[in-house]
Amino acid sequence: MIRRPWYRSKTSPASCREVGRVLQHYLDSEMDPEWAARVTEHLEACKDCGLEEETYREIKSSLARRQPSATDDAVARLREFGRSLTDD
Amino acid sequence: MGDPLTDERELKEAFDRYVVPEIEVLYRVARSITRNATDAEDLVQDTMLRAFRAIGRFDGRHPRAWLLTIMRNAQINRVRRKRPELMRDPDATMDRVASEDKDDASPEAQVLDRGYEAAIESALDALPAKFRTVVELVDVQALSYQEAADILGVPTGTIMSRLHRARTRIRKHLEQHGGYVNGRPA
Repeated sequence: MIRRPWYRSKTSPASCREVGRVLQHYLDSEMDPEWAARVTEHLEACKDCGLEEETYREIKSSLARRQPSATDDAVARLREFGRSLTDD
Repeated sequence: MGDPLTDERELKEAFDRYVVPEIEVLYRVARSITRNATDAEDLVQDTMLRAFRAIGRFDGRHPRAWLLTIMRNAQINRVRRKRPELMRDPDATMDRVASEDKDDASPEAQVLDRGYEAAIESALDALPAKFRTVVELVDVQALSYQEAADILGVPTGTIMSRLHRARTRIRKHLEQHGGYVNGRPA
C-alpha cells in the first residue's frame, strides 16, 4: 500500500506525471484511498491518462478471467485430503 | 505467542479455521507456479501436510501468508529432489519450474483468428518466467503484492517492478503480434 509523498497536499490535484508513476498501484488497489481518489479525478478529466488506464485495465481484466480449468474437482479432492488428515 | 496446541480437537479446529478456507487459493497459486495440474495438487497436499504438522505452533496471524511461505519451501524442496543442480539460486529455480511446459508455437500462429483473449494468452506465454509468475499471482489469482512476495520470497518492491515491466511487455506484445493498440484492434 503506497502513500502520497509527504510534500504533496492530500487534496491537490494529481498531475499526469504523478498518475503515470502510480497507475499500476491504482489498478491493483494497492494505494492509500485518499490518493487514489485524486488519481480517479485526474483519470476522469484527462483523456490521455484515461486511455492509458483503460488499456491496462483491459489487460488486467482479461488476465483475471484466465482461470485454469477443472479447478473444482481438484479443490474437492484437496478438501477430502484435509479431512483425512484431521480424521485420523 | 501462546503455548503450542497439543490437544487433538484443538489442532483439528485450528486446521479447519486457518488452512481449509485457503485450499482453493493455495491450489490456484500452485497452478501458477508449477503450470501443471498434477504437480499443483501434489504441492498443495504437501503444503497441507506440513501445515498440519506445524499448526500447533501457528499463532493464528496472517494464515494465508503463513501457508504461502510453507508452500514456497515445499516447492523448493520438491525441485531440489528432482533437480539438485538448480538449488544455487532459489529464484531461478522458481523461474525454471514455471517455464518447463512452455508452448513453442510462434506468437503469430497462436493469435491467428483467436481474438483478444488469445492475444493475451500469447503475450503471457512470451514473458520471461519470472515476470509471468508475478502476473499470474497478482492478476490471475488476485494475490496482494505482499502475498506474491511471500510465495516468491522476494521484497514487495521486486513484485512491483516485475509487474510493471511485465504489463508493459504484454501491452507491446499485443501491439506487435495481435494488432491491438490501447486494448483495441488497430
